[in-house]
Amino acid sequence: MEYQADLANQVLIFAILAFSLNLLLGYAGQVTIGHAAFAGVGGYAAAKLATAAGLGFAPALVAAVLTAAVVGLIVSVPALRLSLEHLILLTLAVSVVFVTLASSTSALGGAYGILNIPNPDLAGKRFDYPSEYFLLFLPLTILAFLIYWRFVESPFGRVLKAIREDELATRALGKNVFVYKMEAFAVASGLAGLAGAMLAFYTMLVAPAQFNVTQSMLIITMVIFGGMGNPTGPVLGAALLVLATPVLEKNLNIAAEKAGLVRMVVYGAALVLVVQLRPQGLIPERFSLMVVPRWLNRWKRPQTAAQSQAIGAAGNSEPSAALSFLDGYHGSSSSAQPGGRGNNDGTVLAVRGLKKRFGGIEAVAGVDFVLPAGRVTGLVGPNGAGKTTVFSLLTGVIPPDEGSVELRGKDVAGKTPDAIAKMGMVRSFQDVRIFARLTALENVMLATFGHPGETFLGLFTKPVAVRAAEREAKERALKWLSFVGLEGKADLLAGSLAFAEQKLVAIARLLATEADVLLLDEPITGIDPQWATRIGEVIHTLRQLGKTVCIVEHNLRALEQVADHCYFMESGRITAEGSLRDLMSEPRLVSAYFGT
Amino acid sequence: MSGKRSLAVEDIRAGYGKKQVVFGVSLSLEPGQIVAILGHNGAGKTTTLKTIAGLLPAQSGVIRLDGVDITRNSCAQRVRHGIVYLPQERSVFAQLSVHDNLLLGGTPNPDRAERQKRLDYVLELFPILGERRSQMAGTLSGGEQRMVAFGIALMASARVLLLDEYSLGLAPSLCQALAGTIKLLVERDGMSVLLVEQNVPLALSLAERVSVMRMGRIVVEETTQQLGEREHLWELF
Amino acid sequence: MDLKFDLLPQLFVNGVINGSAYAALGLSFALILRVAGRFHVAWAMIYTLAAYVAVVAAQDFGLPLVPAIILGLAAAALAGILTEWIVYRPLDARGGGLLGIFIASLGLIIVTENLIRLTWASQTLYRPLPGFPTELISLQDVTFTTLDLASVLTAWFLLVAVALFLKYAPHGRWINAVRVNPEMAQVVGISPDKVHLLVFVLGSVIAGVFAIYAAMKFAAVPDMGWQPLFLAFMVAFLSPRFTPLSLALTGIFVGLVESLSGIALTANWSPLVVFSVLLAYLIVLPIRLPRLAKLVRAWAG
Repeated sequence: MEYQADLANQVLIFAILAFSLNLLLGYAGQVTIGHAAFAGVGGYAAAKLATAAGLGFAPALVAAVLTAAVVGLIVSVPALRLSLEHLILLTLAVSVVFVTLASSTSALGGAYGILNIPNPDLAGKRFDYPSEYFLLFLPLTILAFLIYWRFVESPFGRVLKAIREDELATRALGKNVFVYKMEAFAVASGLAGLAGAMLAFYTMLVAPAQFNVTQSMLIITMVIFGGMGNPTGPVLGAALLVLATPVLEKNLNIAAEKAGLVRMVVYGAALVLVVQLRPQGLIPERFSLMVVPRWLNRWKRPQTAAQSQAIGAAGNSEPSAALSFLDGYHGSSSSAQPGGRGNNDGTVLAVRGLKKRFGGIEAVAGVDFVLPAGRVTGLVGPNGAGKTTVFSLLTGVIPPDEGSVELRGKDVAGKTPDAIAKMGMVRSFQDVRIFARLTALENVMLATFGHPGETFLGLFTKPVAVRAAEREAKERALKWLSFVGLEGKADLLAGSLAFAEQKLVAIARLLATEADVLLLDEPITGIDPQWATRIGEVIHTLRQLGKTVCIVEHNLRALEQVADHCYFMESGRITAEGSLRDLMSEPRLVSAYFGT
Repeated sequence: MSGKRSLAVEDIRAGYGKKQVVFGVSLSLEPGQIVAILGHNGAGKTTTLKTIAGLLPAQSGVIRLDGVDITRNSCAQRVRHGIVYLPQERSVFAQLSVHDNLLLGGTPNPDRAERQKRLDYVLELFPILGERRSQMAGTLSGGEQRMVAFGIALMASARVLLLDEYSLGLAPSLCQALAGTIKLLVERDGMSVLLVEQNVPLALSLAERVSVMRMGRIVVEETTQQLGEREHLWELF
Repeated sequence: MDLKFDLLPQLFVNGVINGSAYAALGLSFALILRVAGRFHVAWAMIYTLAAYVAVVAAQDFGLPLVPAIILGLAAAALAGILTEWIVYRPLDARGGGLLGIFIASLGLIIVTENLIRLTWASQTLYRPLPGFPTELISLQDVTFTTLDLASVLTAWFLLVAVALFLKYAPHGRWINAVRVNPEMAQVVGISPDKVHLLVFVLGSVIAGVFAIYAAMKFAAVPDMGWQPLFLAFMVAFLSPRFTPLSLALTGIFVGLVESLSGIALTANWSPLVVFSVLLAYLIVLPIRLPRLAKLVRAWAG
């Protein structure tokens, strides 16, 4: 019995390590090979406090969690803007620094570590045997798991996944990506610290070798094998790794010393195979092993587009879906920006003297234009005229050198993308940038501002408000998906949709921000003519919603159908305006457009 | 390797994974002919050229060179047949010297003596490359970089030149000068050229025939003269 | 703090000896990373494999030293080719991405390291490779062995040879071409697939050389590949340019930092110093990125 309990305890400890790493790696997409080091921070903290300061089990554990969380937070700061390779390098450096520090500091026991950690002593009961430890560890693990679960299968977790898919697009939706990354690191490290402390008390020692890079790699394999991004997968991965040894020993009669090595060989080989055949791990992201209470699990298992075709989804709704939608629409409801439909002169956006220089080239050389409320304005011009740069300047992706951008009278020039998004101006991207491994519905739900479930505090202190906000967000998302005619495909993974449908999801996502000013970058380019008509109709209807739209387009024929008014841009300046037909009747402009 | 080449493209479909961009395009290029492909951004012009060059696989359709099916040939094989594609951006090895760039162009034909002859020819066409031979290609002006790119193509013994907006970012005088070089190569050496352009007048001044692409398909195919007589050209875009 | 400046000459020489090896290792890793774009953590596996094959050939099969070494290097080259051909390339085609290749790489090291442990589980895992005429050389305050000298000379030889190869040999030029502009490389008829295999061979052989030196100096141990991997990694990333010269200087820099920390600290602290330097670099990197990057880009071209 003790033997089984010992195995169970190992599974529990590794499970915590695995699912905490999953939060960072599987959900937020931050590849780190230093996770064991955070466990080490917790383990050493607990060990030191228990031996030197005589701290009891419970306080030592708490101290471990907090210390590890703080260290994780500190490490996250430089990690915020690093590319994948540099992040791996950073976490490697952190790991080596930790191990070296631990093995070289006499106060930390040097290479041998800290020994003779006292047994846990709670309420007079001393914990000695594995079975007794199990009674202690099981509730701890379940608690840790519930905290982790609350983070990942929630609006907060949804944002983490979005960051994993496309950081830039996430920022464009008004999320402060840096804060999320820092919080992910802090929580993941804190939980790892818990596991480290548990290990310390269990084995009664901590040593540097328990927390080095090789151990970190081991935890990574557990997560990958079990299923990245799946909430319960890592637990399976941990269990498989720990239990493989006894299985090999007992069932295959492999000698004890060899069994551990054989399982690693099998594990390593399986890893190479798994990543080739099932890159998402044994358990796909969406599948749930556990019986999950309904109120926690909101999303059914989404199908691929092919499966839903077999069922006969009503995805091919007619364009009039958009128009019939309007009957039920009552304008911006819970939007984040102040009311008002524009300035007195009916313009919503006024740009003056906008300039941007890149090195020696003046990409935007003093641009003035206005966007009238409730109208679709086109921005046309030859290649390299600076049109997309203007969009980037307006939405804060690039700061302008000079000029003002007045959104309903307030100058937003130089503000961050998240701030401008919250003030009511958003843009779409030429290369769409939807979150491929999230459903269409989740993509659109991410466009909510001020969702309490997306914050650390709100998630744990305001469960009722979170549930209400989720319901509202879901309703709003479905509304906008049906506006673009895709409500039948709401539960499909966005990456499995056709390219044109992805463009529609992106538009629905923009609309769900309830922003007034929509900047669309080549919405009709690169798709089939019948889809182009459908998108054109959607854009046409935006007028009736009171949206102010500006479009950069090269597909002139399609643009003519939707634009009320156009600006002509060449070599960084706006040189003419009028209807598209008028502009294209000007010989000088035509030659500028098609080249002199 | 001399000899004129004819190119036939039949009902090509191509794209990038999920994103299908070219929906059944057919073209033909006679030996010693210049054909232009026009169209708006995102119409699939570059994708078409890349598919012909072998940089992208054709999902369906046939590509024939002198009647021989080369659809399954690799890019390296097509280069040896004389098909050379010059991209609109990054058309040179920026971190290498002009000399190294041209040498690399000679990769398909390693015969030393031949290569020297071609190098002399290139330097005769573009004397400035001789002056700049040890300079890093990325530090050259836009026009000079284009000349290097042309040089690379000539070193590779191109018989079918696929030009992707060679005029992009070039001053008009330079465009004209290079246009002159293209005409020279066609008339004197029998090169066949498929030209993708945004600069419509330039394309019309060079090409005999024009195909206009819109949203992945060819919407109009006529002679330069016929196209030039159209009134509202922009409606095709 | 007690600063042992009298040790300076010896530490300097140690730094150069180690740094030269680090430079070559960095070149090996950089070739694979910058030309083939692979995050090849399994490099550690190839390193270890080279040493073990040489040791087994010499000790268990009685081969003389030189053929054993050649066999070890051949094994490394073969392992490199197979890794790229059978593991990385199909994965890349399937859209595995950097992460996928990293994971597959990880799997390979785990398999190899543990297979080695299994194979020699009952014997000693510590397998030295004797046979090199090792003598001490003493110049004034400085001592090193003939093995160290050979290692340094080999490193510099390799760096120079690769530099010349990249510049003047056709295949070397193809390597540069694929690195600088893979699309244009294809356009002129270079097969990126073949060039990838070439850099794997080169990188694996270079790694193997120093693995064998390590086996001769100390011994072959199952986890011997990790530390060199981290160092190769670091040098490849810290080096501003891809050129063997830049990698050489970076390698020597790292070697010197590691070694000269011995003026103030004991040897077990040196990894800390080195990685702290790395940490500092990574922290500064995003902050000063725009300006610094422009400077670096201007220099690197």
